[in-house]
Amino acid sequence: MAAVQDAPMELDAEKETKPEILSDGTSNLSGNTASGTLSSPPLTAGGAPKQEDQQTLIAVLQFLRRNKLTESVEILRREACLEDQEDSQTLDGSGGGKGDGDGGDANSLLSRVSIASAAAPQIISSTSMYDQPDVSVVLSAYSQQGDPSLYQVYYSSLKNFIESVLDCHRAELSQLFYPLFVHMYLELVYNNHENKAKAFFEKFSGDQECYYQDDLRILCGLTKKEHLKGNEALLDFRTSRFVLRISRDSYQLLKRHLQERHNNQIWNIIQEHLYIDIFDGMPRSKSQIDSMSGSFAGETRREVNKAKVFYGLLKEPEIEVPLDDEDDEAENEEGKPKKKKTKKDSMGSKSKKQDPNAPQQNRIPLPELKDSDKLDKIMYMKESTKRIRLGPENLPSICFYSFLNAYQGLTAVDFTDDSSLLAGGFADSTVRVWSATPKKLRKVKSAAELNLIDKESDDVLERIMDEKTASESKNLYGHSGPVYGVSFSPDRNYLLSSSEDGTVRLWSLQTFTCLVGYKGHNYPVWDTHFSPFGYYFVSGGHDRVARLWATDHYQPLRIFAGHLADVTCTRFHPNSNYVVTGSTDRTIRLWDVLNGNCVRFFTGHKGPIHSLAFSPNGKFLASGSTDGRVLLWDIGHGLMIGELKGHTDTIYALKFSRDGEILASGSMDNTVRLWDSMKAFDDMETDDFTAATGHIHLPDNSQELLLGMYHSKSTPVTHLHFTRRNLLLAAGAYNSQ
Amino acid sequence: MASPKTVPKDAQVMMQILKDMGITEYEPRVINQMLEFTYRYVTTIIEDAKIYSTHAKKSSVDADDIRLAIQCRVDQSFTSPPPRDFLLDIARQKNQTPLPLIKPYTGPRLPPDRYCLTAPNYRLKSLQKKVSSFAGRITVPRLSVGAVSSRPSTPTLGTPSVQTVGTKVGTPVSLTGQRFTVQIPSSQAASVKSATPTTPTVQNVLINPSLIGSKNILITTNMVSQNSSSDSTSLKRKHEDEDDYDAL
Repeated sequence: MAAVQDAPMELDAEKETKPEILSDGTSNLSGNTASGTLSSPPLTAGGAPKQEDQQTLIAVLQFLRRNKLTESVEILRREACLEDQEDSQTLDGSGGGKGDGDGGDANSLLSRVSIASAAAPQIISSTSMYDQPDVSVVLSAYSQQGDPSLYQVYYSSLKNFIESVLDCHRAELSQLFYPLFVHMYLELVYNNHENKAKAFFEKFSGDQECYYQDDLRILCGLTKKEHLKGNEALLDFRTSRFVLRISRDSYQLLKRHLQERHNNQIWNIIQEHLYIDIFDGMPRSKSQIDSMSGSFAGETRREVNKAKVFYGLLKEPEIEVPLDDEDDEAENEEGKPKKKKTKKDSMGSKSKKQDPNAPQQNRIPLPELKDSDKLDKIMYMKESTKRIRLGPENLPSICFYSFLNAYQGLTAVDFTDDSSLLAGGFADSTVRVWSATPKKLRKVKSAAELNLIDKESDDVLERIMDEKTASESKNLYGHSGPVYGVSFSPDRNYLLSSSEDGTVRLWSLQTFTCLVGYKGHNYPVWDTHFSPFGYYFVSGGHDRVARLWATDHYQPLRIFAGHLADVTCTRFHPNSNYVVTGSTDRTIRLWDVLNGNCVRFFTGHKGPIHSLAFSPNGKFLASGSTDGRVLLWDIGHGLMIGELKGHTDTIYALKFSRDGEILASGSMDNTVRLWDSMKAFDDMETDDFTAATGHIHLPDNSQELLLGMYHSKSTPVTHLHFTRRNLLLAAGAYNSQ
Repeated sequence: MASPKTVPKDAQVMMQILKDMGITEYEPRVINQMLEFTYRYVTTIIEDAKIYSTHAKKSSVDADDIRLAIQCRVDQSFTSPPPRDFLLDIARQKNQTPLPLIKPYTGPRLPPDRYCLTAPNYRLKSLQKKVSSFAGRITVPRLSVGAVSSRPSTPTLGTPSVQTVGTKVGTPVSLTGQRFTVQIPSSQAASVKSATPTTPTVQNVLINPSLIGSKNILITTNMVSQNSSSDSTSLKRKHEDEDDYDAL
């Protein structure tokens, strides 16, 4: 990792200068001893007690040297026979590396150093990040070795300090508890102080915030160093920096306290593992902090969310609607503001001005429109004229599709955009496609039969379909594990399904056979989604990355890496230039398709995120997670703008209505709730302070925004879909228990 | 859930473990599955450890052997996803290449055929058998495996020499893929009506319709019918074949 690799360069440079500074008097000793203190690998097997003494001696030497007591240095060196150190002064990282886990006493000095270095604990290369061995540091390290109960002392003293601080600062400084607790616990475990670690855990785990309970439970089970090895998420936690946002005043308080206590242990942890984003201004209140915190790696730094995001929609192509249609808007060219499809295009499209917030048409290559696509678009426009305008007075009707006899095996559902087809992915690795209209599903005839039809006839497209096997539903077999994600292509020709077997399969809906299996994730793929223009699709899985594919490439085009835990939900932005991913690490990231960068990073959920939805105008994002809250985000400013409380269980389905006025959410608590998203977005205030610091004060108006709550009879809601006319369709598997 | 008193001790321990990990609701069979897994895992490790200790000529199995056994098994069965820095590295590499341009008008956009599942996964093998050895109907085995559901049409009309794909008339466009050979019994006496008994007949392998991915239909068949008289028989035969399929 770049961060880790750069550090040793700096510290090496430091090391060079330090001996020079110290060697004002002594000439030959400085370089040696300085380096000697750093390396000291336990070369001799029984040399443990010797190492201890050497450490102390070296520390004393440094102290004397610093105070310019050169003669004493000489005498001490001679008497302590420190010449033999010159043999053991090779700064070999491997020796230092061995020292960390073997229980040797150089441990505590190196351990703190080595924990912060490279990702894999087995290959600690302690050439990186050597601290200047301060006397106090060495002594404290020295005293720690036999007495890790000092960790408890440090923590308790910090706790006391924070409790004694002014109210306004207390909330902010309390953010420190959790990361410090976890890092200290991990250090104890890492140094094989199992009992002390357990005692530390028992004493202080109850103090932590409730939304960290899941993480703490996992930590509770990790008591040995070997346990850490397989747990990627925790390893990432240790190497990435936990971000805290503290106001300058609070930070000064903290710093002063820690430095006057010489409480270097905590200070060192803060420096190595925490990133404190300091802002000027009023300290935040507890509620503000609570709303933003909860993620695995702390909050977001302010500058992360400052990149420009093109959240506008692409211009619709101009399509001539044929005049012989009975609709009265036949003259209407595409993009006219008459239809309330999008809010953004209402002004700009007529004058063909480029929306400044919309990406260029050719920013990413998109497939051209085929004739069939143009026909689809015309159909879409016609349907949208008949669309019902929704609002708080005009709620949509809800049609619920219950899957019977699914035996809790329904794992994924999707509807086509025109609501004609419905697909379900099941835990028995099948995918089943139903027709939601009276028209049956037909597949293309076999080649033998195709040869016999009259190719010149007008209805050739009907003739190629096989009437004999027409049915209401078709089964698709091919996966070898439960199917966790399904997605229809916008042109209704393809269906994607992602499964626990690590593959994403592309099925043809003309022949109902599998065309391609995309292998890349070698671990369960939790979700997949087609781009709104077809051709591209995104998938996210257990390997903590999301991948962007094109249907005609067998390898992914982009890899979106950065999450600390599984990627559970992936969605395309309506303009197909951005991909949003929600993860088990309780964060949401928005990625740019063009270059794979993470442009937005949202924290605030207290549980894994399972559903995401973009508003139709592309400006806002809604997310739902296991904590039962729906959070609303402004993509342009990178802020949280709303919180909808009410659900009591995981929210697996979120959908905006076609014009963005209503947000529907469906959850495992068997309810569908409708929220007034117009009001939620109008209410947001973006003054300069908010934009600059990212502090939001969310009004607790969930009750006002709730327009309706509808119970199903013990059927959790797995998917929601607004038809083109704004009828709400919901799908779920009836749970008879 | 069974009452804790009547449940065996191992199951009680497992219930306690689940409770400690915060799992409060679970189907009763989960405990059985967990116990089975535990038993299998532990015995595998201990057996491996025994092997290692005998290899090291030790008298009994000790902790080092167990540790070694666990380590070896972990790399085999319980792999974990790649570490984060590795992922960031490959992501950086992958994301540097610009997005490829999309060629217009290419029909269904699929990867090269090697990477698709659209190939027939069988191959018809020639069967050099005598004419009159068989009598009766053709029984063509059903060949819908995976994506491919092509079936050969009436194989022979007249002469029994069933030839492999790719010979003589009209090379079928068979895609490479996994194949298994299917023996199709030679034709029947009933069909020996054709005027040209000596013309080599071609196995008519149909191109699987799954190539057809979009509304741009590619109708590529490779049927070759020798003569008009065979057409009627071929049609008739087709229906028979369908019946056969049902029977099989």
